[in-house]
Amino acid sequence: MEFKEVVGRRRSIRYFLPWKPVAREKIQIVLEAARLASRAGNADFARAIVVERDKLSKADLQALTLPVNAGMIEMAPVHIYWWGDLQAFTRDMPSRATEQVNMGVLNISHGWTHKFVNEVAYPQVVQVFSSDPVLNAKVTGCEAGLAISQALLAAVDEGLGTMLCTYPEGPARQVLGVPDHWTSLWVQFLGYPAEGWEAGGQRPRPPLGSLFHEGKYGTPFRGSEETVAQLRAQKMLQDPAPLPWRKEEVRAVSRMLGLPEE
Amino acid sequence: MNIELNTSQTVQTWLQGVHEQSGSTPEADTKRLQILAEFCAQVEKQPDEIIDDCLRDVDGGGKKIRAKGRRFYADKINEFEQQATGSSGEKRQKANYIRSFLIHNGVLMQTSPLA
Repeated sequence: MEFKEVVGRRRSIRYFLPWKPVAREKIQIVLEAARLASRAGNADFARAIVVERDKLSKADLQALTLPVNAGMIEMAPVHIYWWGDLQAFTRDMPSRATEQVNMGVLNISHGWTHKFVNEVAYPQVVQVFSSDPVLNAKVTGCEAGLAISQALLAAVDEGLGTMLCTYPEGPARQVLGVPDHWTSLWVQFLGYPAEGWEAGGQRPRPPLGSLFHEGKYGTPFRGSEETVAQLRAQKMLQDPAPLPWRKEEVRAVSRMLGLPEE
Repeated sequence: MNIELNTSQTVQTWLQGVHEQSGSTPEADTKRLQILAEFCAQVEKQPDEIIDDCLRDVDGGGKKIRAKGRRFYADKINEFEQQATGSSGEKRQKANYIRSFLIHNGVLMQTSPLA
């Protein structure tokens, strides 16, 4: 699938075929996409535990369940529990930056030397804001989020249904056995959609100019109708929700899965 | 036990939500109400009492779910489903009427998919 269509087709899928497994190769592709995401200092912010639903004990599945994830956690055959590694920047940056200087990624042209890494970038930047819990959480969440976003798009490209949801951090620590310096982010559900891939249509978003500005705050970014038409043709912009048949679809899917229909 | 359906505010909220959000037709209301009445009789509560057991007022307005009440009725609905007559799909549908009643009154209530 072309990139723009992948972006256009991504939806939060909330109905999965519980009985249809996801091939291991597809899970690997999703993780590879996350592994290759942009990340500050080339540090390992994004961490994940892949769980096959049917390998969880009933008690563990219950422990990972919240009212808001309850339907999906039982329908989706694969869960990826995403975490952020709060030690990633301080632990990884010095060696990764050194490596990148050696590889010609960080260069003299931009002021990068081993001396700059060791005497300025690490002690005066990375260490300073990594010691601030709020800043550290902000950077970790943002950087891990980039990886998660690519994981979502890769899942769509593989023909899977996917969505992000919350999970209970404390019980998840126990069930999944993660280190203390990981912070909980989202669980990504993976499976085959029980609803149409359109999932009722593309979700409405505010106009471009109300979200993004040009030059300074208050000057809306101006898009062109020609570009909108081009993105429609390339399937990045699609028919908005609700599609006319959505209520009937939800009713039918709910009935098939034994969920409340109305 | 006489179940007060016609004067119940929570029943009105439910039916209105079912018609407006889900697009269900009022023709099936008789069946919905009959199932709800059966459940109410089983737990010996009026519809409004069930919702009161699951929600509490919070300071500054609004309602919050009582976890204990919600869990209690979730278990009772599961029992109701098991004891109902009919196929597994019919049993589930009956129980889902009750879940729908709670959901439309602000009590998040979910169930496992039938696999």
